[in-house]
Amino acid sequence: MEFLWEGIQEAFRLVVGGDQQVFHAVGVTLYCTVTAVTLAALVAIPYGAWLGLYRPRGYRLQVFVLRVGMFVPTVVVGLIVFGMLSRQGPLGWLDSLYTKQAIVAGEFLLAFPILGTFTHAAVRAQRGTPLETALTLGAGRQRAMLTMLGEVRVPIVAAILAAFARCFSELGVAIPVGGNLELRTRTLASTIVLDLSKGNFAKAVAPGLILIALACVIATIAFLLERERES
Amino acid sequence: MSRAFLPLLLLAVGAIALFVSGYDGPAAGERSITLATTTSTENSGLLSHLLEPWSEATGIQVKVIAVGTGRALALGERGDADLVLVHARSREDAFIAAGHGIDRRDVMWNDFVIVGPPSDPAGIRGMRDAGKALAAIAANRALFVSRGDDSGTHIRELELWAHAGVYANYPSSGADTYLKAGQGMGPCLTMADQRRAYVLTDRGTFLAARRTKDLEVLVEGDPHLRNAYGAMLVNPQRHPHARTDAARRLLDHLTSPEGQARIGAFRMDGEVLFHPHAAGD
Repeated sequence: MEFLWEGIQEAFRLVVGGDQQVFHAVGVTLYCTVTAVTLAALVAIPYGAWLGLYRPRGYRLQVFVLRVGMFVPTVVVGLIVFGMLSRQGPLGWLDSLYTKQAIVAGEFLLAFPILGTFTHAAVRAQRGTPLETALTLGAGRQRAMLTMLGEVRVPIVAAILAAFARCFSELGVAIPVGGNLELRTRTLASTIVLDLSKGNFAKAVAPGLILIALACVIATIAFLLERERES
Repeated sequence: MSRAFLPLLLLAVGAIALFVSGYDGPAAGERSITLATTTSTENSGLLSHLLEPWSEATGIQVKVIAVGTGRALALGERGDADLVLVHARSREDAFIAAGHGIDRRDVMWNDFVIVGPPSDPAGIRGMRDAGKALAAIAANRALFVSRGDDSGTHIRELELWAHAGVYANYPSSGADTYLKAGQGMGPCLTMADQRRAYVLTDRGTFLAARRTKDLEVLVEGDPHLRNAYGAMLVNPQRHPHARTDAARRLLDHLTSPEGQARIGAFRMDGEVLFHPHAAGD
């Protein structure tokens, strides 16, 4: 167990010493997750709200697909993105395998079903409330969805956190699709795997601790997001 | 509240029962040992070829942990393995010198090759000197994939760069054509295939993977590319719980004429992958 204590000291040294590898991995991790979750949120949250409010044709099937999507193993998503972007794949001409953008594409697919499912559930929970009735009868669609999303702010922030959680420490996309390339596509999570494979148990603890520290920051931001707007 | 209590209690009891019913028991009893080794021996199928008959004959099961050389030695150092089979002589000697292991023996050897795209942009095809070939790759600014994971293959690659003349420091130069993958041999071959890059690989892993890859053996036969595997016991004085007696029986078997013959008889696609130590030196 002593390697845990050594790992804590190592984490401190790396952060205070401004270790290039670690800071780069932090940058890659934040770049990929923030971009992927933001892009996914911009599409999936309105989509989930629309599903919940208006129950369009094929409603059950769409909800079903979103729910199953949450279960798809990250490695399978990684395989799909790899297949699309490899030289033999349909998007091979983009020449973007082993880039951060490829990781973003995979994490987008990981985040989307979580955001969609949770938003849909939050909106569905409002069914039968005066707000819901007023919105579906009266207001224009855009306005109705915005008002509804404002109302269910807290569960939506929870959805965004869950999406972050799935992407932040995932390996199924980052390693096969990102390539774990040093100072290019190496994330904090893939740094841990590499240090483990080298047998540096203490060194593997450090990126894990940094990951948790970043999670604390994100969880704090979540409190700010769900606060009632002062009117 | 009391109406919800019974179902919740049943649920809790059920969950605990499920948890307990899945208990795996103590790790397979006395009659098993743990072998920490490299992915090349496991992925090629050599180990099951060697170990299955031995386990049947002796009744001792072998748990194989196939990882990079660095991690395999670390597992031995921590006492999480009984026997270590790796390929990085300098690390093995350091391991013995530090008292982590005893009774190191040569077991077998195979060889490394430099593979790359058939178009061979650096023009290294047929070169006999691996150092010169690496220098040509660097000079032509062709892509090179490095394992970058402290494995035996990675350590050997760094040793080969020392023979690359003015490019001896290329791996640490930060060149953007030198890709440090930090992954196993299979993923690195995939990366070389996808990026049309060169890569150093053991022959066995390459043979197993080549059907799906557009890569060819370009450089082979340099004595520096020879890859010797050594096995050693974890020091029982450091780790009294190590199953040294059973592990020594396996080590004896691997180095016996019978075990050596079995290593030499192993084929992949009709090719010999591992040469018994007794035959080669």
